[in-house]
Amino acid sequence: MKTKVITEQGRDKALATIKKPEVIERQKLNVRYHIEDLDVNDRPRRFLEAFAAILKHSNYRMVLDHFTRVTARCSRCAVACHIYQATGDPKDIPCYRSGLLLDVYRRHFTLGGMIRGRITGGGYITDEKIEEMADSFYNCTACRRCALECPLGLDHGLVTHLGRYILSEIGIVPRALVVSVRAQLEGPYHNTSAVPVPALKDTIEFLEDDMYEEKSVKIKFPADVEGSDYVFFAPVSDYLMEADTLMGIASVFAATGDSWTIGTENFDAINYGLFYNDRIMERVIKRVDSEARRLNGKQVLIGECGHASRTAKNFLPTFCGGSDSLPVLNILEYTHKAWREGKLKLDPDVVTEKVAYHDPCNLARNRWIVDQPREVLKSFCRNYVEMTPKGEDNICCGGGGGAVSIDEIRSYRMTIGGKLKAEQIRKCGCEILVAPCANCKKQLRELVEDQGLNCRVVGFHDLIYKAIDFDGSLKVQHEEDTTLDPGKYNPGRPSDGKGK
Amino acid sequence: MESLLHFARGPLFRLCFMIMLLGLARILFLDLWEAYRAYRKAGDKKMPWRLIVRRGLEWAFPMKRIWRNPQLYSFVSILFHIGLILVPVFLFAHIDLWKSAIGISWPALPFRWALWLTISTIVCAAVLLIERLSVKAIHSLSRGQDYFWLILLLFPFVTGFVCANLKIGAGLYQFLMLVHVLSGDVIFLLIPFTKMAHCVLAPFSQIIDALAWKFPPATDQDILETLNPNH
Repeated sequence: MKTKVITEQGRDKALATIKKPEVIERQKLNVRYHIEDLDVNDRPRRFLEAFAAILKHSNYRMVLDHFTRVTARCSRCAVACHIYQATGDPKDIPCYRSGLLLDVYRRHFTLGGMIRGRITGGGYITDEKIEEMADSFYNCTACRRCALECPLGLDHGLVTHLGRYILSEIGIVPRALVVSVRAQLEGPYHNTSAVPVPALKDTIEFLEDDMYEEKSVKIKFPADVEGSDYVFFAPVSDYLMEADTLMGIASVFAATGDSWTIGTENFDAINYGLFYNDRIMERVIKRVDSEARRLNGKQVLIGECGHASRTAKNFLPTFCGGSDSLPVLNILEYTHKAWREGKLKLDPDVVTEKVAYHDPCNLARNRWIVDQPREVLKSFCRNYVEMTPKGEDNICCGGGGGAVSIDEIRSYRMTIGGKLKAEQIRKCGCEILVAPCANCKKQLRELVEDQGLNCRVVGFHDLIYKAIDFDGSLKVQHEEDTTLDPGKYNPGRPSDGKGK
Repeated sequence: MESLLHFARGPLFRLCFMIMLLGLARILFLDLWEAYRAYRKAGDKKMPWRLIVRRGLEWAFPMKRIWRNPQLYSFVSILFHIGLILVPVFLFAHIDLWKSAIGISWPALPFRWALWLTISTIVCAAVLLIERLSVKAIHSLSRGQDYFWLILLLFPFVTGFVCANLKIGAGLYQFLMLVHVLSGDVIFLLIPFTKMAHCVLAPFSQIIDALAWKFPPATDQDILETLNPNH
C-alpha cells in the first residue's frame, strides 16, 4: 500500500513546533517535543561517554559491528516506512536514520573509523549531529516494519531504540515520557497516571456495578488475591478510559472461572523504558515481577497494550531470572484459549457492523499475536473485513514508539505518522475498528476525529463484553444475589459443581 | 602483456584470493564470536529459531520478494545477484582454471545459460547504477563505494562477455583478458573490507537481530556507575 507525499504546506504545518524560541535557545536543541531543562555543555563528549558506557555493559556492539559491515544502502526500507511515504524526505528513510548512529559508531568506536577520521580530519560528532539524531529518532514510530524489508536484516527499530537510549543519558528525552515514568517509579502510587489505590478500588467497584446492571451477573474484580493463576496488569489508562475493555476481560474470567487478581501495589503495565532507556525498562519490569511474586501468582497477564505486552514477554525473562521467570501471557492469548476450549459463548447477533482488526506492531511484527484475535472475532462478528497489509506486515497507527504520549506532536502524528493508516482504514470501510492496544486506541481515535473517518475505535474485549452470553448458572447466581468471585470458585465450568 | 596476464592469473590471483578468504574468515569469526559472547551474557537465552529460520529462508530464496515494492528494483536486484553468484562459480572456463590449479572441478553451466546470465547481469548492473543516480531515495543514501562496486563489477562481466563471444584481434583479446583478470583480483581483494562482506555475513543477520534484543541482565547499576563513578 502506498500514499502520496503531503504538500509542502501540510508538511510545514505538521512539523511546526509549539515550543517557545527562548526555550529552544536555552536548551540549545531545536526539537518539536518538550524536554526538561538539561545540561547543554560539552554535549558531544557526554554523548560519546554515554555511548561508551552502554557499549561496555550491553550487547549493542555486536549488532553495530554487524550492521556497519553489511549495510548496502539499497533504500528498500523506504517503501516500507509510513513516515517516508508521507514526507518524501530522504532524511526519513530508515537506513538514513540508522546511518546517523552507525556513522558515529564507526568513527568513534572502530579502529578503521578512528584512523580514517584522523587522516581526513572529519566525521566528529557535533552538537548539530546530536540535534539531528534527537529529531530523527523521535520522528520514527519504532514500528520495525522496515526491518522486514531489509535484505540484509538491519533492524532499524533497534538502532532507533539505541539512539534514544544514548540521548536519554544526556537528558534528551520527551518530557511526557519522563514525567510518566517518574510517577511510576518514584511516585506514591506506582503508576504512570498517578491513580491512587482508593480511586482504583472505586473504579473497579463501579465497573462491577455496571456489569451487574448490564449483564445481570455479579462479577468481581479481584484485588490482592494471593496464589491466583494470573496476576493482571493493564495499562493504567484503561482504568480511566477503557471501562468496556476491563469489563470484557472480567467477563472472560467469569466465564472461565480461572483465578486472577489485580495487585494494588503495582497495577500498571505501561513500560515507557522500551521507548527511551533500557535501564528504565529494567526497573519497571522488575516492579511487575515483584508484584506478581508478592501475590504468589503463577503467571503474569498483560492487558490490551502492545508495548507493555512485548516488554513483559521479552524482557521479564531477561531481567528477572531467565528460564525461571514467571510466564507472561497477553490477554488476547488467554481469551483465544478460552474461546477455543468452548468456555465463551459469544452471541453472533449482537455485533452486526462492519468490523476490522488493527494489528498493534508490538504484538504482530514478530508473528506473536496475529491469528488468535481474528479467529475469535470472525466467530461472532458476521461482518468481519480485513485490512491489508496485515499481521506482521501491518501498517503502524502512527503513534508507536511513545509518540502518542507526546501531545505537542499531535499534528505530526495526524498528518504524517497516521496518514497511511488513515487511508487504509478509509479503504477497508469498517465501522468498528478493533485495536487491542492502549496507545493504538488513543492514536486511532484522534485520527478518526482529525481525518474525519467514519468508524469507531474499540478494544478487543469491548466487543467480547458486548457479545458474551453468560450461561444460566451465572444468572441464577445473580437472582440469588451471590457475588461471583473468580478468585474463589469456578461457576463457568459445567463440570465444576462448586459454583452451582 | 602475456607475462602480465600470467602474473595476474597466477601469483596475484592467489594472493588476492587468500586475502579474501582470510579477511572473510576474520570478520565471520569476529561476528560469530561477538554473537556467542552476547548469547552468553543474555539474561534470556530462549531464541526464536522458527522465526529466524523462516525469515532467513525468505531472503535466501526471495520468491515472495520479487514483485514487492519497488518492483523494478526488487526484480533487477535479485536477477543481478543470481548472475553474480552463478556466472563466476559455474562458468566452464573458470572451472577449468580451478581444475588445473587445484585439481577439483564441478558441473558447469551450459554455455547458452552462462551467456544469458552474463548479459542479464550486465544489464542489471547498468539499471541499478542508473537507479542509484536518478531515484531520489536511493541516490540520497548512496556512498562512494555503492557506485564504485557497481562499476567495478561491470568490468569482469563486460570483458568476459566480449572475449568469449565476439571476434576480436589477439592484442585486444589479451588486453581485455588482462582487465578481466585484474578486475577480478581487485574484487577479491576488496570484498572483506567493504559492504561486499555481506556475502558471508548476511546469512547470520536474522540471528544477530534476534540476539540484539537479548539484553544482559542487570545493566542498570553498571551503566549508572560507569557514567557517575561517585553515584
